[in-house]
Amino acid sequence: MESKIYILVVEDEPEVLDSIVRDITEFEDHFNVEMTDTAEEAEEIIDQILEEEEMIGLILCDHVLPGKNGVDLLIEMQNDEKTKPTKKVLITGQAGLEETVKAVNEADLKHYIAKPWEKSDLVDITRKLLTDYVIEHVKDPLPYMQVLDAEKIAEHLRTGRQITDQ
Amino acid sequence: MNKTKSIGLILGIIGFMIPLFVQLPGLSLAGHLAMSIFILAAVFWMFETIPIYSTSILIILLQVVLLSAEGFVPYSDTVYEAISYERFIATLADPIIILFLGGFVLADASVKYNLDKNMTRILLKPFGSDPKYIILGLMAVTAVLSAFMSNTATTAMMITVIIPILARTDYSDPARISIALSIPFAANIGGVATPIGTPPNAVVIAALNQQGLNIEFGSWMLYAMPLAIVMLIFAWFLLLKLHPPATKVLQLDLKGEWTRSTKAYILYVVFALTVLLWVTESLHGIRSSIVALLPVAVLTLTNTFEKEDIRKLPWEVLWLIAGGISLGISMKTTGLADWLVGSIGWEHMAYMILLGVFGGFALLMSNFLSNTVTASLMIPLGISLATSGVIDGPASMMLIGLVIALSTSFAMVLPISTPPNAIAVSTGVVKTKDMIVSGAIIGAVAIVLILLMVHFYWPYIL
Repeated sequence: MESKIYILVVEDEPEVLDSIVRDITEFEDHFNVEMTDTAEEAEEIIDQILEEEEMIGLILCDHVLPGKNGVDLLIEMQNDEKTKPTKKVLITGQAGLEETVKAVNEADLKHYIAKPWEKSDLVDITRKLLTDYVIEHVKDPLPYMQVLDAEKIAEHLRTGRQITDQ
Repeated sequence: MNKTKSIGLILGIIGFMIPLFVQLPGLSLAGHLAMSIFILAAVFWMFETIPIYSTSILIILLQVVLLSAEGFVPYSDTVYEAISYERFIATLADPIIILFLGGFVLADASVKYNLDKNMTRILLKPFGSDPKYIILGLMAVTAVLSAFMSNTATTAMMITVIIPILARTDYSDPARISIALSIPFAANIGGVATPIGTPPNAVVIAALNQQGLNIEFGSWMLYAMPLAIVMLIFAWFLLLKLHPPATKVLQLDLKGEWTRSTKAYILYVVFALTVLLWVTESLHGIRSSIVALLPVAVLTLTNTFEKEDIRKLPWEVLWLIAGGISLGISMKTTGLADWLVGSIGWEHMAYMILLGVFGGFALLMSNFLSNTVTASLMIPLGISLATSGVIDGPASMMLIGLVIALSTSFAMVLPISTPPNAIAVSTGVVKTKDMIVSGAIIGAVAIVLILLMVHFYWPYIL
């Protein structure tokens, strides 16, 4: 399926990056997964995606990165109208309370995942946030029903009345 | 704009031009213009060059400009007596549109106060835990609700009910397929049961009204509900045969509470009263479209249905229906419909074969096109068949109307055939192949049954 929605994974340790991407493979048929190891490169990728008028549904971001850190990247995204709707998740082992609070308050952080994580938790969170994103920002959510929370999407169709009899 | 739409745009414009340059013997100037509009509408509807509801509005605009007394074409010296533009724009408030408006308000208010879900909960209870009967229960409830709400909204609601059931069912159990297919099929079938069940019914009823045939809410149910019931039971048998459930027990775990606010109670009462008045029209004589104003008025004046809710009504469906009605008016008044009918040698066809051709064609077309569009394109021709004497009498007009309306609703072969089908396939539980097999069998059986009703049932109750 040709998707216009991206999942962006930012993580500097190659093994960790691999395991995140491996854990969320079930979404790959419906979403494009892009990965990178620095915030700076993430910004470039974001610009490219937006330039092609495609969407970033979810970012899974490590906190400690070489150069600019993950929290600052998420805050920057929150302050840009185009990336504000993106669901933001911080994956980290060492963020202090202060940094975490900052991410919640200033980047509208949707979830905090502590390392090491359970695969099922990561999958559940990814599914929940992508479902929310699709419901809020995609006109026709039907193609995503299969891989996301179908009950929630059906409920949205019931109450939102996007699809009508013809 | 993708390739299909572009082809539609080009074909539509070329098609629109043809009658302007080619003189067709026996067809008036107005008939030529009506044909231009008909071709443009048919092509745009088929290729979905523009949204189908905008095609409807475009039809009304073109009719006002080209065919009305106030339009730009002088008809004073011709045989065509130009009708007022008001006739065309009045289709937007045709009695059947008002009936649908009442239905929409009731349906959307039901969603708002969870009446649809609570009814489902109550109605499903007696069906126990045997998967066979649970599927029957799901189908019966879906059909009953979709007779009064939109087929699509009913399907969406029922999908939220079946997903927890599917999640508890073994992945390889065919019950998953029969359950997931039962919902859209039952929703499509239930739509035929009442005038407000599905938009094609509206287009056909409006066209018959134009001919002076008034169809009561209850009469329609008498004509169409037996078909819906038989087909529902047939579809149930078919699904159990093709995908027999392996599990012996299915737990229905339906939680929920009745909404107990004053507004919700107002809705319950208004809903019950409206439906009661609709089905008893023959006793009190108040037309169903007048009754339809009751929920609209009472629910809004009590703020049960608020301004935001009014804005969220599916207005585009009403536009779509209005365009279909309006197209029928000009095809009739300009003589185009009669001309089209007259140019085909129907006389050589036996009566039943003729109705069979209409039903079969409607079924085939609406598998690929919107059901409403199919009905809109076919009903003017069907009515002309009756008025031009190819088939006889007012009863034949009713019969052909019923054949067209009912046949379009039994198109459920492909995911694109109806929105309920699309939703069911999107869950990923049903393969398109499964839908094609059972959908095709249901369609074929429905046509046979409709023809049997033409012969053995309707003539005796009309």
